[in-house]
Amino acid sequence: MIKRFACLFLCLALVTAFLEGSFRREDVKVHTLANGLKVLLLEDHDIPNVALFTFFRVGSRNERPGLTGVSHFIEHMMFNGSPKFGPGEFDRIMEFNGGANNAYTSEDLTGYTDWFPAAALELMLEMEADRMQGLTFVPEVLESERGVVASERRMRVENDNDGLLEETVRATAIMAHPYHWDVIGWMSDILNWRRDDIIQYYRTYYAPNNAVMIVVGDFEPDRTLPLIQKYFNAIPSSTPPPPVTTAEPAQLGPRQVLIRKEAQAPSFLMVYHAPAWKDADFPALFVLEKALLEGESSRLYRRLVREEKLALTVAGGIQETIDPLLFSFYIKPRPGADLDRIEAVIEEELAKVGAAGLSDREFQKGLNIIRSNFYFGLQSISGKANLLGTAEVLYGGIEQAFGIMDRYAGLRKEQVQEAAKKYLAPGLKTVGKLIPEGGVK
Amino acid sequence: MNRRIAILALAGLLGLSLAPSLLNGALKLPVPEKIVLNNGLTVYYLHSPELPLVSLRMFVAGAGSAYDPAALEGLAGLTAELMLKGNASQNAEAIAEELDFMGAGLNIAAADEYAQISAGSLAEHFPRVLEIATACLTGPTFPEEEFARERSRRVDALAAIKDNPRQAVRFYFRKAYFGSHPLGRLSSGTEGSLNKITGRDIAGFYRERYRPDRCLAAVVGDIDKAKLEALLQATLGRWTKPSTPAPGLDLPPLPVPKGRTLLLVDKPDATQAYFVLGAPGYAVGDPVDPAASVMNTLLGGRFTSWLNTELRIKRGLTYGARSDFQTWKKGGLFSASSYTKNDKIGEMLDITLGLFGQAKNKGFSSTEVESARNYILGMFPLSLEENADKAEAFLRLAFYGLGFDYTGRFLTSVEKVSAQAAGQSAAKLLPRQDFVLVVVGKASEIKPLLQKFGTFREKKISDPGF
Repeated sequence: MIKRFACLFLCLALVTAFLEGSFRREDVKVHTLANGLKVLLLEDHDIPNVALFTFFRVGSRNERPGLTGVSHFIEHMMFNGSPKFGPGEFDRIMEFNGGANNAYTSEDLTGYTDWFPAAALELMLEMEADRMQGLTFVPEVLESERGVVASERRMRVENDNDGLLEETVRATAIMAHPYHWDVIGWMSDILNWRRDDIIQYYRTYYAPNNAVMIVVGDFEPDRTLPLIQKYFNAIPSSTPPPPVTTAEPAQLGPRQVLIRKEAQAPSFLMVYHAPAWKDADFPALFVLEKALLEGESSRLYRRLVREEKLALTVAGGIQETIDPLLFSFYIKPRPGADLDRIEAVIEEELAKVGAAGLSDREFQKGLNIIRSNFYFGLQSISGKANLLGTAEVLYGGIEQAFGIMDRYAGLRKEQVQEAAKKYLAPGLKTVGKLIPEGGVK
Repeated sequence: MNRRIAILALAGLLGLSLAPSLLNGALKLPVPEKIVLNNGLTVYYLHSPELPLVSLRMFVAGAGSAYDPAALEGLAGLTAELMLKGNASQNAEAIAEELDFMGAGLNIAAADEYAQISAGSLAEHFPRVLEIATACLTGPTFPEEEFARERSRRVDALAAIKDNPRQAVRFYFRKAYFGSHPLGRLSSGTEGSLNKITGRDIAGFYRERYRPDRCLAAVVGDIDKAKLEALLQATLGRWTKPSTPAPGLDLPPLPVPKGRTLLLVDKPDATQAYFVLGAPGYAVGDPVDPAASVMNTLLGGRFTSWLNTELRIKRGLTYGARSDFQTWKKGGLFSASSYTKNDKIGEMLDITLGLFGQAKNKGFSSTEVESARNYILGMFPLSLEENADKAEAFLRLAFYGLGFDYTGRFLTSVEKVSAQAAGQSAAKLLPRQDFVLVVVGKASEIKPLLQKFGTFREKKISDPGF
């Protein structure tokens, strides 16, 4: 036992040494403009391209009934016209200059991710600055985009049984906190958001003091910072958005969701309330996730897929979030599988962890997987930009990105057992089952 | 919620057809070193020490789904999966446990023309990962119990696929387009074909088709050459070549649709209708590749493409619309796809066919073509950032015999594609009357809207097979 830990500490010491050699805190230049915009710059000349990521501290957790899904909708509208660039110009100009982009909205943040040849950097900064305030929300364009998002929701929820079950289980497990609804929002809200409310929401959350900009790639920081100042300094800061204060009340007993609809195969999802990323219990549950759900050697893959042949796949675990969200067990059942048996097997395995904890090897496996995934995530300029932005917005600062391995080095195996007992107890579950009707099976 | 379908999927063209160069200071695909093992197996190697990671890719020519016996569709896919379920020294659980313990990935899957082995790990674990990969590749035991479980799991997975129309429509399309041609064989198999496969078939397919003289490998990462060479000789290098001649790799020419082949798959609970429309494309390395890549970038290969502009940006009919070329040794496929709510599917198809006509008749402006060239060149470096991307690029170039300078030649050609050449490739490749169209949706609502396109053969989503 002691030897294993000693080995572990040695490995992690090597990791830290490596981090200092290649992806180092001191290589990241951090500036905050007078208007509050935080800028993170990291040179990386492997390829002649730049990743320019802008993360706003807004997501579905900032929404309210009637405006559910609006954070994601604004993400779409950010490509549909700003003061200097008309609807669609952002994409047209960017692609003409050899760049591409994507964007995503989560419960906690909205991220704009641009990749382009180094020569396009100034143009991209100009366009990003232009859409940080004063989006035009042209009424006809807004209506067309509403249709796009409705189609997206139909694809992800109404025409995807697993998505439908997820939405319902989440809304049952989380009653009070805005994590109650999915990022996509309810269909009736999508169809009824009012333009004025959308604009008000945009003005509240899109401001330099509510954003962080990350630049990684082939550029010179000494020339880039003045460019950022040139385009962003004029944007005024705004009143900081109101904090999210709603806390989810404690769950006092198990909850259940049953959906009956036409399907070829059933769906199954069981969730428990889980702590936020910053919580001291998060690392223990992240390691537990690896032991229970990751890979074909995981406990639930062995039980549900291999031994009892109840399931096709297992997935899930804990999410990195600002407020407490869920620890999820996504089980894809085989057609005709006994869903109650799946539920019982998960609870049996949780009870075993509660009673006996993980084996030394399982614990070490979890740590090894986390370490391996960390490095695979650093292979691209986008991966580095994403880690820095996520650390800034979700973890509470970029120091956290460089301290992840240290956080796990301090974890004890017993903490995993304690966390399992504390969070994944029988009375705290919400179980969801989608049962096929009609069809052949 | 992502805003869009993966635009970078354009890289699917050649696995790497996105491009760099004059725009931004030439970035070329680095040329790998070549290591030839004692048994003749060729390994391409590139040292990439930035992160403590190593990736391995292997292709086994002739072990892909196109080589499934006609009645045993899914045999290549099932064989590939079962190779990790037991070897001379470890059973399935021991293999999975050791790989997971190292935080390593090892996967074997059937593509169309080859089987692909993919592995990646921290550099310190790579020697052991290579040993396990070799043991599975050279001495799989195919235990009966593992075979029975994986086969029945695959049968059940097909039902789950049919609950997801976006996925299912691709399976139906593949069948409708290729029919009995080998490229119509799905690596998933079908309910009927999987149940015919026996353990003897698996062992036989493996014995005949997995052999060192049909393998190519590539290793990219933080490992030095001398050490890697010694490791490779002690593992893959000891795999002996069978004395029997290797089976042929030739596939018949791809089918060419005449007139319209139309299929409607009824999914009564669908609130959106999903379509795929396809026609002949071109083979890997065809001289039309640069012009066709530019043309497809404009038609349906990026966010501001004509299809996405007309269907999504202007009309809000869909979350995404795109078109692609897929290429194989013997030929290729052009396809366009999208989805919309049930009452709009007729309008969506009219617009799609209209855009093909416009591209064929009027072509593209020189500004548009310049934009597409810039886009392909600008995106290219991003397609080769990771070790595994480079390893796969090396293998594709070697497998198709294109040479490691192909990427550079392709990019240079892209820079020279004129509006005229892009227009000519549209005129040549986009369909007007001869195509295959598959729609998955709620028949009672969408059938009246589809009548104007011709007579659709009909299936129910609950019918077995695709």
